[in-house]
Amino acid sequence: MRLFYFSILILSTIIAHAGVVEITKGLAFVKVKENGKTIRIQRNQNKDNYLNNTFALTSRPSPPFFIEPFSINDDIETYGELEVLDFISKEKGIFIDARLSNWYKQSAIPSAVNIPFKIFLSDTDERTKILESFGGKKTKDDWDFSNAKTLLFYCNGAWCGQSPTAINALIEIGYPEDKMKYYRGGMQSWQLLGLTTIVPNGGK
Amino acid sequence: MKSLILLLISISYIVAGQYDKVKITPDMAYIYVYHKGKAVKVHREQDTKHKLTGEYAKTYRPGKDIQPIKINDDVKTIGEVELLHFIKDKGNTGKGILIDLRTKDNYAKESIPSAINIPFRVKDNPEKISKVMQILGAKIANDGSWDTSEAMDIVFYCNGLWCDKSARFIKMFLELGYPAKKMLYYRGGFQMWKILGFTTVINK
Repeated sequence: MRLFYFSILILSTIIAHAGVVEITKGLAFVKVKENGKTIRIQRNQNKDNYLNNTFALTSRPSPPFFIEPFSINDDIETYGELEVLDFISKEKGIFIDARLSNWYKQSAIPSAVNIPFKIFLSDTDERTKILESFGGKKTKDDWDFSNAKTLLFYCNGAWCGQSPTAINALIEIGYPEDKMKYYRGGMQSWQLLGLTTIVPNGGK
Repeated sequence: MKSLILLLISISYIVAGQYDKVKITPDMAYIYVYHKGKAVKVHREQDTKHKLTGEYAKTYRPGKDIQPIKINDDVKTIGEVELLHFIKDKGNTGKGILIDLRTKDNYAKESIPSAINIPFRVKDNPEKISKVMQILGAKIANDGSWDTSEAMDIVFYCNGLWCDKSARFIKMFLELGYPAKKMLYYRGGFQMWKILGFTTVINK
C-alpha cells in the first residue's frame, strides 16, 4: 500500500514536471537586478495564459508603424530572448528601453533603463551626460568611444522603429557598431513567450 | 465612355489604398505570391483594433525551449520583410521555396501563403528525404553524394520562437550536404506571422 502511494507521488511529480515551461531545458529562471532588487525572470506557468493585452494587437497603423527588417545592418547583431537573458543576467552592458516613457511606465523588461530614443537625436546636454555615462569621452568636437560599454536596445517589437532609430542616431555620432545590439522581438515577443515583465516603480 | 474611364480610375484608387492603413513597409502594402498555382494577395489585417486570439496567442508551451537567434554562423535568420522579398524574388520565380515543417494537421488548418508542407517527422524516413531532396533540385552524384549545385534556396519555418523543428531539420540538411548558403531560417515562424496580422491560407 505504501509503495502504491509512493509510486503515485513519483508519478505526479513527473507529470507536474512535464508541465513546466522553462526558458531552455534545465533553466527555469534567471535573476536580474531591477531598481536595487533581485527579480526572477521566468515563463508564465498558467495553462490558460493567452496574450490579450495591447501587445496582442496585430495591426498598428502605418505610419508610424511598419515591420522592421531583421537586422539594422551587417555589423549590429540582432538578439533573441536567450541572448538578451544572457546579457542582462551577466550584466554585460547597459540594457536600454528606447521607448517613450509613457510606454515604459506601463510595462517593461526587468533591469532595463528607459532612455527614450528622442534623446539620441539631437546634441543636448542631456545626451552628452548619457553618452558619458556609457563611457564615452568628449574630445574637441568629437567623441571617443574606445572605452564605451556595450548597449542592448529594445522597444515594442517587430513593428517598432524606436530602438532602430536610437541605434542609427548613435551610429552617426560614431558609437562602435560592435558595441550595439538589437532585440527586435521586443515587448511583443517577450510576452508571447510568457516572460516576466514589470511595472517600473509601481507605475509612478 | 468618359464615365467608364472615371469609374475605372475610382476603382483603381479604392483598390490601391485598400491596404494602406496597416502596411508592411513604407513601400509595400501587399504582394502577390503563388500558392498551389493561384495568386494570393499577402497583406496585413487592416482593423487596427484586431487582436490575435486562439492557439497562437497562447504563451503556455511546456517542454518547448526558446530557440537561439541563429542556428550557426552560416545559416542566416530572417524576419518577415526578408521572407516576403524571398517569396517575391525566388518563390514566385521557382528559384526558391518556403517549407512549413509543422504537422500535416496544422498546415491544413492554416499556413503562410506559398508554403509547401514537409512535416518534421519525415526527417526520420530516408526514402522520403531522398524524394524531398530531388524535388528541391538536388541530384545524386556519381559517388553517391548529393549534388546540390542546382538545388533551390529554402526558407524553413515552424510554429515560432519556441519550436525547434526548423533548427533540427536544417542541421540534418547540412549533414546531407545541402549548402548553408541556400538555407534561411524564419525564426518568428507561424506565431509571429499571425501576431503581425499577415494573410494566411487554408490547405484543406
